[in-house]
Amino acid sequence: MTNSIVEFEDADLVLVTGSNTTAQHPLIGTRIINAHARGTKLIVVDPRIIPLAEHADLHLRHNIGTDVAVFNGLMNVIIADGLHDRNFIMTRTEGFEALHDIVSRYTPNVVQAITGVPAGDIVAAARMYAQADKAMIAYAMGITQHTTGTDNVKVLADLAMLTGHLGRPSTGINPLRGQNNVQGACDMGALPNVYCGYQSVAAAEIRAKFETAWGRPLNDKPGLTITDMMSAALRGDLKAMFIMGENPMMSDPDTTHIERALANLDFLVVQDIFVTETARLADVVLPGAAFSEKTGTYTNTERRVQLAHAATAPPQDARADWEIICALSMHAGYPMVYDSPRDIMREINTLTPSYAGITYERLEACHGLQWPCPTPEHPGTPILHRDKFTKGLGTFLPCDFKPLAEVPDEEFDFILTTGRISYQYHTGTMTRRTNLLEREAPHAQVQIHPEDARRLSIGNCDLVEISSRRGTVRMQAEITDQVPRKVLFTTFHFHEAPVNKLTNPACDPISKIPEYKGCAVMIRRIS
Amino acid sequence: MKRLSKHDLATVLTDWAEHYTLICPTRQPPGDIIFDDFNPETFTMDYGKPPLSPKTCFLPHSEVIFTVQDGSYQTASSSDKRLIFGIRACDACGLQQAQRFMTRDKNDVYYQARWDTTLKVVVACSGPQNETCFCTTTQSGPIAADGFDLQVFDLGDELFFEIGSSAGNNLTVGRSFSDLDQKTGRDALAAFRERAQAVIPVKPEIKAAIDALKTRSPDEVWDFLGRKCITCGGCAFVCPTCTCFNIYDQAVSANSGQRIRAWDACLYGGFTREASGHNPRPSQALRLQRRHEHKLRYYHALDIGRALCGCVGCGRCSDFCPVHIGTLEVAQTIVAGATP
Repeated sequence: MTNSIVEFEDADLVLVTGSNTTAQHPLIGTRIINAHARGTKLIVVDPRIIPLAEHADLHLRHNIGTDVAVFNGLMNVIIADGLHDRNFIMTRTEGFEALHDIVSRYTPNVVQAITGVPAGDIVAAARMYAQADKAMIAYAMGITQHTTGTDNVKVLADLAMLTGHLGRPSTGINPLRGQNNVQGACDMGALPNVYCGYQSVAAAEIRAKFETAWGRPLNDKPGLTITDMMSAALRGDLKAMFIMGENPMMSDPDTTHIERALANLDFLVVQDIFVTETARLADVVLPGAAFSEKTGTYTNTERRVQLAHAATAPPQDARADWEIICALSMHAGYPMVYDSPRDIMREINTLTPSYAGITYERLEACHGLQWPCPTPEHPGTPILHRDKFTKGLGTFLPCDFKPLAEVPDEEFDFILTTGRISYQYHTGTMTRRTNLLEREAPHAQVQIHPEDARRLSIGNCDLVEISSRRGTVRMQAEITDQVPRKVLFTTFHFHEAPVNKLTNPACDPISKIPEYKGCAVMIRRIS
Repeated sequence: MKRLSKHDLATVLTDWAEHYTLICPTRQPPGDIIFDDFNPETFTMDYGKPPLSPKTCFLPHSEVIFTVQDGSYQTASSSDKRLIFGIRACDACGLQQAQRFMTRDKNDVYYQARWDTTLKVVVACSGPQNETCFCTTTQSGPIAADGFDLQVFDLGDELFFEIGSSAGNNLTVGRSFSDLDQKTGRDALAAFRERAQAVIPVKPEIKAAIDALKTRSPDEVWDFLGRKCITCGGCAFVCPTCTCFNIYDQAVSANSGQRIRAWDACLYGGFTREASGHNPRPSQALRLQRRHEHKLRYYHALDIGRALCGCVGCGRCSDFCPVHIGTLEVAQTIVAGATP
């Protein structure tokens, strides 16, 4: 997030898109509801009638995968009406002309034809957003999990820069991260192309710094993304994998392909707290410690680093992840000598400029620190890009609309979109072992619009079969007008109905994120 | 009544710990207060309002109630002799409400076994532990009227002990306690009570909400709050009078298993969902309504004893609800009317 969670309360307008906030970030969802009750305007841009939509002043239900067109349409209206922030554009940005050239083609009528959103709503949303003094954008995986995920984020950034809704309290572009520490994992360089703090592996001076610290020569080539690794394994170019706390047999798209890829490896190690669907395929399973059994920090969606203490010891042979990695490294001939997570944090402080001032001593005395926090005296940074962008001027990055990689046709005539529900978490490794949560949501359900259900003679709770070009799964139907016509929504929590057998592995060319939010399927009732 | 120099408390506790499993407030690193086994290093008298009430000693978050092995089963029942030191008056009242509920028409043997083998020492409050305390409104504190074996009054250098039972009296025998003449004791207690009650403000919205609920159900309030509730169930878990649990079976091996009960909450949809899929309380608004009406309106008169209602005013739901819909806020919303 460019800004902080508490700032939702003071915004004049919140635009939520691709986020079922009350289900997946309930505390943020409630702040938005509280703010709305006090007069904050709320725009929801989402194909589904999510609970927040019932509070919204305006709900744009665009066709799945047409996000770029929607936001280009908003920018078109803003420029046409002269509502853009000329001062901000002049002093803080570059490339406005290129943006103008592209969005000028996205008139409300053109956008209505692409997105299904009435032109009048595009105009109204544009004016509300631009005219608000303090407007925040919140988005989640509904924006990123597309073959145009990077483009979707770019146009949101363009929209915020165009209106100067950046660098001030209660403004900004606020991605709501999908897991409690995914921000921290990225910050620590659990990415193929950077060391901790997003320092490029390809930059010679940065590499030299890490080579000095670690006493070893380091590779200057970026590694592979997860999706690339799976393809490389299938080709036989990648021989061994070490998977930690991830269950790609349930969570990656086109899991039939994933299973073949993992089977093609010479050696697979899985480190997890339970024997997952992926761990069953492993040559070696290493038992990790659960969250309550280890001490360390989590970095949340607002870049806040928080300390958590172990409450109990891990069972039997299980160990904290860092202990397992250090032990393995020792056997591999490189002694990693740390006596505690605190000790590791000291190294993070020396090698990561944005974390330099975030010490255990400080974290023990406060409710966390937000990076960048470059010195031990620095108070942390609740708001990014205050006076200038990290790169100097912010560059407008205009994008044209591109359709879903797989659009419906006569045979596969529905769009399947996937997500999560409150009671189950991801592939269910933890939550499906929790009795109460399992009672709340014991099996997969696919949401289908009443008109579609009637046409296909599908009744509520009927067993249905959903097929894509990649596979078939069966689950129960839930008839609801929360989904648009010709759209199905379901979750990827249930191994009995592993929906990622259906999803399309087509990826965003830059982020390599798969298009979980839209693929073509057919559905029929099982008599 | 008895008196004890504060100096001697640690000795007395250490002595008790030799005869009982002594559970008392402890300060664990990095500062959390929990009821745990006595340890002179972690024991504290400066414990305010512990986040979890001592209901965990009688109805733990989860417990095995019987085990099955090779076709025969064995009940798991506790007979451990325990002493809980440091119960707050509101919690003592809540524990009694829960105990009556759990044994009134059908005896919950697991609960009762713990109850029967546990001595209870209340520590009276000299003032509010924080701003959400409202025991003077619910008539459940700051001093316990009954439901204890001993009740402690902290008078600075000295502790006065009110005897609540013969078992409580036995706890003082042969230890460093000395007798207190009746009048001195009574006067000291009356003064303590007066001072404490004067500084714990009565919350008029609670009584007003109870009155309002007698005549109508403010559906607009439940709808508004239902949309905010994130269904975490935390209010029920921290509540000293909430006793709902769910039962499930767990296989241990091919020929053995166990039946477990674990905390449940009426805020969850599955709590009332029927086998057909029909749910008589299908919305979060209705579930919240049910919870709060149970506390403020539809409690059982036999359960509540001397208290005002089914809420004992500990204020924990207001302390911990992440979206601010504890009993205090619900009452305020009912009185003020819903929202914009």
